[in-house]
Amino acid sequence: MSKTVFGITGISLGFAFAVGVAASADAQLLAHKDLSLATATTIAMTALETCKAQGYNVSVHVLGREGQVVVALRNPAAGFATYENSMKKAYTARTTRAPSGRFAENVKGNPNAPQFFLTNFVAAQGALPIMVGNDTIGAIGISGAPGGDKDEVCAKAGIDRVAADLR
Amino acid sequence: MSRIASSVAAVSLASALGLGLAGLANAQLVTNKDLSLAMAVTIAQTAVQTCKAQGYQVSAHVLGRNGEILVSMRGDDTGPHTLENSMKKAYTSRAQRLPSGKFAENVKANPTVGALHLTNMVPAQGGLPSMIGQDVIGAVGVSGAPGGDKDEVCAQAGIDKVAADLK
Repeated sequence: MSKTVFGITGISLGFAFAVGVAASADAQLLAHKDLSLATATTIAMTALETCKAQGYNVSVHVLGREGQVVVALRNPAAGFATYENSMKKAYTARTTRAPSGRFAENVKGNPNAPQFFLTNFVAAQGALPIMVGNDTIGAIGISGAPGGDKDEVCAKAGIDRVAADLR
Repeated sequence: MSRIASSVAAVSLASALGLGLAGLANAQLVTNKDLSLAMAVTIAQTAVQTCKAQGYQVSAHVLGRNGEILVSMRGDDTGPHTLENSMKKAYTSRAQRLPSGKFAENVKANPTVGALHLTNMVPAQGGLPSMIGQDVIGAVGVSGAPGGDKDEVCAQAGIDKVAADLK
């Protein structure tokens, strides 16, 4: 008897929770826009070619919303560390939702910033977040030009190329 | 005195060995042809687009001579494993100097083959080596189509596209 009562109570409680949760305002699925491979490839190739036209061989990463690789380009004509560095710059830009150069500035006086204890953060200019309005849907990172400012110019060219589609 | 004699003997021996090695017939540098990033991008894009035209969303990797990633492309709406799987198929093709499907067949006949226990080896069709004559300079791997045979068709299309330049 007491066992049955507990069972019923348990079910009622569970039901109440379910209804409560289901009725809460944010119980809908998340709707968001993500990069297509075609758009990501255009961004990456435009950045690569922009740097090449300026005489710089660079490696490129375009990451998606969760920091996942959408396009990666290793340039054998660039230093071999550029592949990793372009990924880490992009990851930093994605997760801080800001240019990686800004993170570099922010941690200048703080060599033990907690972010340095996370994987894939790098304090280096050359990556930009890819935005749809205020929503960061990914990032592009460049490495190989003689200076992060020059990497960033190419990253910007990549994003500008698809600006009309980022909506 | 005996110490000095020993070290003189050691120096003589070392210099004799040095001269001996330097005098070997095959002491020249190795000359390799390698995939450029531009060719690797063409291979990967052709593979992805060939599959897309057939209604299959796939991810693709193109690897270089040492198994290094030259191009990664994550296909739209593909399973999250396809990026990894396309890399492993390509790696298997590069390492075995065979279509990864041939390695899969070999494994069927010999399920305890040692290569299966190395990192990145996968007995799955969809990867092809990229050859100049008998020289394997890289590989392409495709994953996402409903069947490794269909992946391989797209990998082949990618290699065919640059066939004239593989010399």
